[in-house]
Amino acid sequence: MSRQANRGTESKKMSSELFTLTYGALVTQLCKDYENDEDVNKQLDKMGYNIGVRLIEDFLARSNVGRCHDFRETADVIAKVAFKMYLGITPSVTNWSPAGDEFSLILENNPLVDFVELPDNHSSLIYSNLLCGVLRGALEMVQMAVEAKFVQDTLKGDGVTEIRMRFIRRIEDNLPAGEE
Amino acid sequence: MSRPAHRRPEYHKINKDLFVLTYGALVAQLCKDYEKDEDVNKYLDKMGYGIGTRLVEDFLARSCVRRCHSYSEITDIIAQVAFKMYLGITPSVTCNNSSRTEFSLILDKNPLVEFVEELPAGRSSLSYCNLLCGIIRGALEMVHLAADVTFLQDRLKGDRVTEIGITFLRKLDEKKYRRKK
Repeated sequence: MSRQANRGTESKKMSSELFTLTYGALVTQLCKDYENDEDVNKQLDKMGYNIGVRLIEDFLARSNVGRCHDFRETADVIAKVAFKMYLGITPSVTNWSPAGDEFSLILENNPLVDFVELPDNHSSLIYSNLLCGVLRGALEMVQMAVEAKFVQDTLKGDGVTEIRMRFIRRIEDNLPAGEE
Repeated sequence: MSRPAHRRPEYHKINKDLFVLTYGALVAQLCKDYEKDEDVNKYLDKMGYGIGTRLVEDFLARSCVRRCHSYSEITDIIAQVAFKMYLGITPSVTCNNSSRTEFSLILDKNPLVEFVEELPAGRSSLSYCNLLCGIIRGALEMVHLAADVTFLQDRLKGDRVTEIGITFLRKLDEKKYRRKK
């Protein structure tokens, strides 16, 4: 008594709402598991890091971006390719430091927080901190040690969400044999 | 920590990989929290239920599906519209009984397990994707339909396909309906 539904080929795309709600379930679970916001933030960062080190391979395979020659190119790729691909948004890249080793990603809207209000007892929670870990982990796999942190957050009443990225140093050890 | 989306957010189509890896992190966290697979499964189902009750609003607003007249139509919409929209796949539908209240969704591909080679050691009863069952159950309940939703087969457990069984129960009385938390 079976009939086949019209099965199209699998799409690599999905609508972001399921992700948004699943992410919310993850943060909620961590808030139950850890007593204070700082520990939740740390755990989100750590999880994000582990995700980032896996995600970068797929990103490089799908996006066909070549090697970036400097941190400015890296910033553009993160904003215009990676964020677009995985979150459907294109943050702007601004506030470069004079030395060119720090910049900000300004997210005017953040799909992760579409259904979210921070409760009063979680005022220090960095809700989207997974993203900082993802950025850090992914960039480490391409030989860049960076720091990523939220400096503004619409969930906390700021007008925009701003992630500050700082280049720490190039990582030499992970280069596989044969590469320059 | 949530509110109904009273403002319509922009519709974003995204690549699935970040979601899939985040889902894995969620399951891993629950495995730390609960020793028994049954508890993880139950918790995934409960979380999914909460998600489904919210997701259905978004789904109905965006998909413009008309009112369904049979469980068979509903199951088709779940497979061909909802799964397509939120997971980018279209499971096939089979009907399992002559009174047409029991159906199966056969997932030939399951994006949630793309990075999962096998279940972790000691987790052989884990229903890794059990969030999906809760989502379907919660969404249906919000349109006044009670259903049991469970994995009947699972590739991660060595079965040939992944199969979600949906058994429609009685129609919920709208007046008596109370939203469960």
